[in-house]
Amino acid sequence: MKNRLFILALVISLISIPLLAKGRQLTCSGSTTVLPIAQATAEAFMDLHPEVNISVRGGGSGVGIAALQNGTVQIANSSRPMKAKEITQARSKGINPTPYAIALDGIAIVVNDKNPVKNLTIAQIKDIYTGKIKDWSQVGGARLPIVVVSRDVASGTFEVFNEKALSGSKVISSAQLLASNNAVASTVGNTPGAIGYIGLGYLTKDVKLVSVNGTMPSEKTVKDNTYKLSRKLYMYTNGKAAGDVNRYISFIQSAAGQKIVKDQGFVTLN
Amino acid sequence: MKQIILMLILGILLVPGIVQAQELKLSGELWNRWTMENGKAPGDSTDATLRNNFSLERGYVGLEAKFSETIKGRLTVDLFSSDALKDGAGIKLKYAYVDFSRLFPIPEMTTTVGLQKVYFGSIYDWNYSLIGKAPTDEYKLANSSDYGITLNGFIPGGLGEYALGAYNGEGYKNYGSNLKDNTDLSYLANLRLTPVSGLTLGGSVMNNSTEREILLANATANGNYSRQLLWDGLLRAAYGPLDIWVEYTGKDVTFADAFSNKDYSANALCVFPTLKLRSLIGTDLEILGRYDRWDETDNPQNINLMTAVTAGVNYNFMHDESDNPAMQVQLNYTNKTYDEAESAPAYAHGLKDTDTLMLQFKWRFATTIKN
Repeated sequence: MKNRLFILALVISLISIPLLAKGRQLTCSGSTTVLPIAQATAEAFMDLHPEVNISVRGGGSGVGIAALQNGTVQIANSSRPMKAKEITQARSKGINPTPYAIALDGIAIVVNDKNPVKNLTIAQIKDIYTGKIKDWSQVGGARLPIVVVSRDVASGTFEVFNEKALSGSKVISSAQLLASNNAVASTVGNTPGAIGYIGLGYLTKDVKLVSVNGTMPSEKTVKDNTYKLSRKLYMYTNGKAAGDVNRYISFIQSAAGQKIVKDQGFVTLN
Repeated sequence: MKQIILMLILGILLVPGIVQAQELKLSGELWNRWTMENGKAPGDSTDATLRNNFSLERGYVGLEAKFSETIKGRLTVDLFSSDALKDGAGIKLKYAYVDFSRLFPIPEMTTTVGLQKVYFGSIYDWNYSLIGKAPTDEYKLANSSDYGITLNGFIPGGLGEYALGAYNGEGYKNYGSNLKDNTDLSYLANLRLTPVSGLTLGGSVMNNSTEREILLANATANGNYSRQLLWDGLLRAAYGPLDIWVEYTGKDVTFADAFSNKDYSANALCVFPTLKLRSLIGTDLEILGRYDRWDETDNPQNINLMTAVTAGVNYNFMHDESDNPAMQVQLNYTNKTYDEAESAPAYAHGLKDTDTLMLQFKWRFATTIKN
């Protein structure tokens, strides 16, 4: 009898050890704005917890939210709050989207670094993006046609920008619609008359940041909301985060995680 | 042929407007099907093969134009080979509508104008996980799309959705002179609530009518005129890999006073469970079942009581970045039987017990062109 129990315990152990050794997989996808935060914090978290493997993908906020609805990722990264339609669709499938703020951001309005314009009002930004203002000379710059650069439909940054700066108006049809913050920064940096908008973490020396209504996006103005294009960045989970998901998000929200947020050029929560 | 010419003309007229859009999404979904059906009428000693053929059952091809963040249009045509047309293919206009999302200052509410979905029961979000139609479509209670105007939206916090609509009430196949002298519009109210994650409760009511109550030429009552009250209640429970829909729907039909002996009620019960195996075995397989009971025994013109049981397996593959599958193989078996005692005499005049085996390959594509 004892031999049988010993053999049974041995068999269970042999089966269990490889499963335990396989490691624990965690997948998150979505916003390209959140991507650098997710990648950097995932690397730091995996250094601390080598048994956990975190896979991070971009695609846009809409893509990550759809994947969460389909139950194929544990975390959806989003640079905007989920819409009632998305929450309803998820809840009807038994997915309960739960938001966790992980950082703050200001949507930075950027122009080519040779452009002398230093400030734009929300009204001027709206007029530029809807095609009423077509030349930089109309807003105090040189005589140079404006090249409008925007983000695509899957982008949460576009939706927040459209809501806060354009009040839902249509972007001029000649605008270049690009798939990532990097692409916007690169295009604006290479095009003398260009204007674009990106997350603060994507600012480069090739683009020039302009103030909005006289306010520059900074830690202070984003936190106190005086910068008009401020927003929260989120990670959504199915129900209250638990296990490795909870540990990972808690790490991002901790002092160590928020230091990484700051290092990536974004604004900390507190 | 006339339909094809009509669609080509319509396309030529619409495309210049559509290409002005901020974004244009091209999409398609095609269903290639093999059907094998055996059936028999009461008294038959052996089954006869009723169908054994390949077909393109549906070929939805659509354009979705985003004019701004608040205005979007959709045009979808349905190409098919399964109907009895000598041309080899048919074409129907399925959707042609525009969504205005900020016409009224109500968050998350859209006003939809044109040939659009009918927000009744499960018909408007039926995704054909099983090959069969939604119960309201199968039993001719409501059409999947119709000409009209709706206010539809979502309750903040993800607590549900609602719709109020006015339609022709004749479906997408009838318009203009095909409306059979019917001047009454059909009105709809739909509410779905998701009080807790995974539990959905819904209800719809809709009125409809056929033809005119009084024949205009001689001012007599029309025996074919009827008023219909359509109703539907549904419950959906989704937890982990299990997803169950239960739908109870029906209609109360009232004829003109002189023909009140034709009045009747009919109802259908549908139970539709799905077990999604992907989270359990890693492969995107689904096992599905469906039980239908259609009770029309109160209809003196077509007395029947039908039961249908379906079993199916789906295999999904070629997932996109949001993990939606681009391809799906479906295998379905359906056994449909009429209660002999409850179904005479209409049962003897055409309704047959059937066994149907269907194998279907669906493929979808979508791409967005940015202007």
